[in-house]
Amino acid sequence: MKTQLNTNTPKTKVEKEPALKGTLASVLFLGFFLIFTWVSVYFLFLNRL
Amino acid sequence: MMNGTWKVDARDGKLAMAHIYVAFVALALGGLAGLLQVLVRSGKFELPAGISYYTILTTHGVLLGLVLTTFFIIGFQFAAVSRTAGTLSDRVRFWGWVGFWLMTIGTAITAFYILIGEASVLYTFYAPLQAHAGFYIGLTLVVVGSWISGFAMFAHYAKWKKAHPGQVSPLLTFMSVVNMILWLICSLGVAATVLFQFIPWSLGYVDRINVLVSRTLFWYFGHPLVYFWLLPAYMIWYAIIPKIIGGKMFSDSLARMSFILFLILSIPVGFHHQLVEPGIDPVWKYLQVVLTFMVVIPSLMTAFSMFATFEMYGRSKGATGLFGWLRKLPWGDARFFAPFVGMLFFIPAGAGGLVNASHQLNQVVHNTIWVTGHFHLTLATTVVLTFFGAAYWLIPHLTGRVMTKAMNRLAIIQTIVWSIGMIFMSSAMHFAGLLGAPRRSAFSTYGDAPQALEWIPYQIAQAVGGTILFIGIILVLIIVTNLAFFAPKGETEFPVAEVAEQAERTPLVFENWTLWIGIAVVLILIAYTVPFIDMIQNAPPGSKGFKLW
Ligand code: HEM
Ligand SMILES: [Cu+2]
Repeated sequence: MKTQLNTNTPKTKVEKEPALKGTLASVLFLGFFLIFTWVSVYFLFLNRL
Repeated sequence: MMNGTWKVDARDGKLAMAHIYVAFVALALGGLAGLLQVLVRSGKFELPAGISYYTILTTHGVLLGLVLTTFFIIGFQFAAVSRTAGTLSDRVRFWGWVGFWLMTIGTAITAFYILIGEASVLYTFYAPLQAHAGFYIGLTLVVVGSWISGFAMFAHYAKWKKAHPGQVSPLLTFMSVVNMILWLICSLGVAATVLFQFIPWSLGYVDRINVLVSRTLFWYFGHPLVYFWLLPAYMIWYAIIPKIIGGKMFSDSLARMSFILFLILSIPVGFHHQLVEPGIDPVWKYLQVVLTFMVVIPSLMTAFSMFATFEMYGRSKGATGLFGWLRKLPWGDARFFAPFVGMLFFIPAGAGGLVNASHQLNQVVHNTIWVTGHFHLTLATTVVLTFFGAAYWLIPHLTGRVMTKAMNRLAIIQTIVWSIGMIFMSSAMHFAGLLGAPRRSAFSTYGDAPQALEWIPYQIAQAVGGTILFIGIILVLIIVTNLAFFAPKGETEFPVAEVAEQAERTPLVFENWTLWIGIAVVLILIAYTVPFIDMIQNAPPGSKGFKLW
């Protein structure tokens, strides 16, 4: 393991990315919902052609 | 932080409150019209005394779509710039009052002609429907008044910039400026059609009107109009809600970036309201639809940013698991709860918007009540619940009062009532629309056509939902009246969020107005010049005016 890279850096310089797993899941769900709605109406459109 | 004062100056507060009073009076009257509409459309009720359905519907659309929104937004923004960029100068405040009175007088004139039945042309006033000239003249005053207020805000911003050279302006002031620039650019279109087409035509100076040009100018204004409604809600989400929940803003730059993208992308897209309009070459419709879909980018940026703000806050409070942060949010605080519910409703609203904007799918829903269902989610829920949530701290802040626990409870109930009513009414509208039920029509079985009979159960559900919504309007009016006149005296905070430590520094480029306005103008010219010339050069003879009510 190369964790040694971190050991010398002073605390203040550690740039920690916030953990945003829930945000990722939420936006993925949002994207899925958008696509689902669009495709549903698209099939309705095709059915009525 | 760069926040100027903590409290909005009392004189600025008066100006803001004047706007807010008009907004809520409009809500009361417009809501009553809405109730009548759903009752008529259920087939169980008829308007008394020969009142036309279209008089009621015009009242509803104008009061809620145009008056409530514009007044609340300008009032809120005056408070926001005063809070974040310092007390308004006497000159700026004076012009703010001039703007307010012009808008109010204009509204009164327009409302008068609607109510006496001389202007049942709906809030979009499509030619060749012809209203009394007073209707258009009143609307002109509203727009001119809003311009004056816009310039007052610009002047205030310029003064701040001069006093703080090289500094990034306060976020809420920046956002207010973006929204007023958007409004100014787009309302030039509606001003042009009203001044050069509708007023001369309705006064009888000219006989005929170029219908396609008037509709195109209207929608050049009409789409950005919805962003003019939405951006103040985004201001509250980005810059205020994080403070209310006790957290920090995810990123200041991301917020500014999304506002700039809305400024650039929300104007050259009006054709997506005219997809079935003959006389516009499909190439130009296609181009504008592509630009419309670009607006997905800042919208999803906003969604991401909100989720991230909530999750970061929840995790800082020790939340674990994928969604544990949800439980840490202040569900009992109406200042958070109402806008949050508004955000949730924006998910189906956005999905519906993608359907509307796609040419083929638009043919499924065009001019059906689906569209009405759609904007009662976007405007009448997302935006309006966010405004209600803001009113719960803004009004007591400005009137020197505090919201009691009981009123907060009532506001939570109000939000729930609104949600239930809207789920019924809007879902019914969406489904009936997919079955072909038209918008903007009173009850009819169309000679007992089987298709029209299918709509009736949905129209009943619509009436149930609409009645519940009307109860919601009564509740919010009780709360607002309490906060303005009866709540206990005290100090209420005007919350303004700070940026998270990890966020990058905001670059100054977002305030390079020449650049952004320049890009916006170029895109507008690309999207509109050729089709517009085409409309004028190949115009059919114009149309005479019609009064069909
Ligand atoms: C009690 C609450 C409400 C009810 C029952 C209600 C009901 C309705 C109905 C039934 C229609 C369509 C009628 C038709 O097309 O024939 C309509 C249209 C409309 N509503 Fe509402 N609404 C309510 C609140 C609101 C709010 C709060 C807003 C905006 C802030 C709003 C904005 C509009 C607009 C702009 C239209 C379009 C008018 C037109 O097509 O010309 N409504 N409403
Ligand atoms: Cu639009």
